[in-house]
Amino acid sequence: MKKKEPTFEERLARLQDIVATLEKGESPLEESVTLYKEGLAHAAACRRQLEKARHDIRLCTEEGTEPFSPAEGEEE
Amino acid sequence: MSAILSVRQITEQVRQAVEGRFPYVWVRGEVTNLSRPSSGHVYFSLKEGDDLLNCVWFRGQQRDEAFDPLTGEVWEDGPRPSLARSMENGQTVVCAGRLTVYGARGQYQMIVDLGQAEGLGLWHQEFEALKRRLAAEGLFDTARKRPIPQNPHRVVVITAPRGAAVRDFIRISSTRGLGAEIRILPVPVQGEEAPPRIVEALERAGREAWAEVVVLIRGGGSVQDLWAFNDERVARAVYRCPIPVLAGIGHEIDHSITDFTADFSAATPSHTAQLLWQERHVFVQHVDGLETALQQAFSRRTGMLALRLEHASRALALLSPQERLRRQSERLHEAVRRMDAAAGAALVRRSGLVEGLVLRLTGAGEARLQRAERTAERAGEKLTPLRRTLGLAEEQRLARMELRLQALDPFEPLRRGYAMACDEHGAILRSVSQTAPGRGLAVLMADGRILGTVTGVEPASRNDTQNDASQD
Repeated sequence: MKKKEPTFEERLARLQDIVATLEKGESPLEESVTLYKEGLAHAAACRRQLEKARHDIRLCTEEGTEPFSPAEGEEE
Repeated sequence: MSAILSVRQITEQVRQAVEGRFPYVWVRGEVTNLSRPSSGHVYFSLKEGDDLLNCVWFRGQQRDEAFDPLTGEVWEDGPRPSLARSMENGQTVVCAGRLTVYGARGQYQMIVDLGQAEGLGLWHQEFEALKRRLAAEGLFDTARKRPIPQNPHRVVVITAPRGAAVRDFIRISSTRGLGAEIRILPVPVQGEEAPPRIVEALERAGREAWAEVVVLIRGGGSVQDLWAFNDERVARAVYRCPIPVLAGIGHEIDHSITDFTADFSAATPSHTAQLLWQERHVFVQHVDGLETALQQAFSRRTGMLALRLEHASRALALLSPQERLRRQSERLHEAVRRMDAAAGAALVRRSGLVEGLVLRLTGAGEARLQRAERTAERAGEKLTPLRRTLGLAEEQRLARMELRLQALDPFEPLRRGYAMACDEHGAILRSVSQTAPGRGLAVLMADGRILGTVTGVEPASRNDTQNDASQD
């Protein structure tokens, strides 16, 4: 079963945890390597997520919602 | 004790305090010190009793008004000249603008945006009355203001769908945040219809409880245009909304009642987007920073482990039997060396002692010798005179004895011509009786001997003998 993709914030928080753990300098070598790899993966994923990040803008109507893009050059 | 500020720092702080506290105010006062230099800017002070407020009305702000800036009433007889051109000393006026600090003079002053001769407009009166009433009810209390969520994922925007406000909002937000779902609730933002529709939208957002934050925005416009946002119904709907409301009523002048009531009031619609989401490059930077920290922490960690490994292997080497042997031999060498050094030192000490003793001994011996010599000298000194006396007497006696001895030399008479007779054995003949004819005879002379044989013996008379004897 595929796990749900972690959000940017979750990844960032995990990355911060990993850095903090490594900076404490108490984890054994194997664990440190694992943490390091995981951290790098999170950083890369964070960047990917940021590159892909787009707002989903929808206009709410009586019927429901529809994609919205603002009209250009028109003033209220 | 607080830090010492530079003039620039304190001026900047005063400026921030003044500008932050009085972003837009209405002030009534009597015009005085009015000056209109050729620059076109108008300088004057507003006075009340002894108090003065310095004002500057820049040329760019001196617009002819097509409507009453206070009431919004459009003048049917055409635009009216700006008060900046008509005002006179002693006239009572109402000016609107922002307070700022003029650092070069160390003064605070008002930058006038618009002015109106005395006679408060209806709009302002109503506005102030409503503001007071709602303030009294607690609608503006800062204590009830809810924090605006940072980087929200679900946002409701209440605005006109075809307005500049939503366009600005979307444009600014496109480079920000982590990808949010934005739902636009379309409403008219001006006209009679606007307040009830805005209220309805706020209620719907609250009812659906989907959004993390409700954004209420409207682009810039005249006082009239913004009238809906001073509506009491709108203010109360904002107040009732269970979701934090962020207002961005984009106009240059005063805060509207909606601004006062909202949980947070941004200056413009663009500003609301800036407040909601951080720019994406900030996130990128954050991720970059974390990645760098990760790499540093990891290399520190591995570096530390490597160091520990090195320490451990060094400790192991130190504990090896070989190393122990080496250390013990080192200790042995050291002990021997110390022993040698100690012995050497003792030797030096002893020889020093001996030398000292020798020195002392030598000194003592010489001293004694000298003492003895001196004693001897002294004794000798006493002897000399004695010797002199004794010696003289002895010498004389010796001389005499020598003389007598010489007289007794048996050969002496030979040198005077006497001879000495000896028998054949060499015995001196003292009497004729000691020889007989036929016996050998030797006559000793001063320069040799004559050898012969006795042929006769003739004893002599007495006289002859006595004479011989007396001649000795």
